Amino acid sequence: MGANQSKYERVNLSTAEVLLACGDTEGLNILAEMFAGFGVHTPRRCLTGAEARTAVQERVLNLMVVDAALADEEGYDFISWLRRSETAPNCYAPVILVTGHTKPSQIFRGRDAGASFVVRKPVAPTVMMQRILWLLNDQRKFVTSPGYCGPDRRLKAIGPPAGEKGRRHDDLSAEVGAATTPNLDQDMIDAMFSPKAVSL
Amino acid sequence: MSTVRIFAVENQLARVVEAPGGKTVDEHVRAATARIEGVRDASLASLVQKSEALAALAAEGRAAGSGDALGRIYDLSNAIFGIAGAFDLQPLAEATFSLCDLADGFRSGGSANWAAIDVHVDGIRLLAILGDRAGEAGAASILEGLRRVRQRVLPASG
Repeated sequence: MGANQSKYERVNLSTAEVLLACGDTEGLNILAEMFAGFGVHTPRRCLTGAEARTAVQERVLNLMVVDAALADEEGYDFISWLRRSETAPNCYAPVILVTGHTKPSQIFRGRDAGASFVVRKPVAPTVMMQRILWLLNDQRKFVTSPGYCGPDRRLKAIGPPAGEKGRRHDDLSAEVGAATTPNLDQDMIDAMFSPKAVSL
Repeated sequence: MSTVRIFAVENQLARVVEAPGGKTVDEHVRAATARIEGVRDASLASLVQKSEALAALAAEGRAAGSGDALGRIYDLSNAIFGIAGAFDLQPLAEATFSLCDLADGFRSGGSANWAAIDVHVDGIRLLAILGDRAGEAGAASILEGLRRVRQRVLPASG
């Protein structure tokens, strides 16, 4: 289950606005039934990328589940468009990309298109719910650049590669430099932990 | 000059699900499983239709002698794979996955081996018609045959 949720904790998806996009009618039905079971009322169902684009421009969406194969285009293209569409807040919404026949290159393609998660079929309800729970705790920042637009592709903040400065303003070097001020002596450290009366 | 912006965004999904009510995660999963089971018959029936459409596409592609049909064969096989997997029809899922490998390999490289595609399509049709009734031994022999075909025509791929 997700980082902070157990299977006994309550999740209320009844007011969530969800878009489900899949190019195959039966595949879309299965997704819709799954989300109905999750308590989602009237998700926006789309067979084509064109329908999905219209939905993005018509209403605020909290979650999008997009199959890699849409009837008129690939799900990757829709996600790339979404991330650059400037349709806030929808362009920042979490997107789960669902893939069928999957090569490693397609996983990277989904990630680079701006998907929050790539899930490979068959997608059991328990797997989909796990991914949703993970997204509830997703604190990743959003990146816009000429080459990429979407959630930060780094899932862990472990700093820049050794020997490199890092590209983000809050990147810290893994190497610890020499002290620039005198070390604290033990009395000063103790004083930080001892309560003292202060006059206000 | 390239402009890179990195900024925090509100997690609206997290805000929405905090509303009172709802069900436990376990209850959601059980409800979703039951609802998917409710469309099982209709979905399995669609597999037969899709496998027939696959056969028609393969015949069309073979007659035309061009690779134009490979993309549609790939897409349809991929759609069958998704449905078969959802209902735990493992042999059908494996057969369609193998056909996806073939179609993808042929369209991104060498010429299409239509005999290999035909063998796959025949196996897929049979497995789709049998559905849940595909016996373990029969399905295993079909899959073994498809694996051998696939290895012969796509030796380099994993």
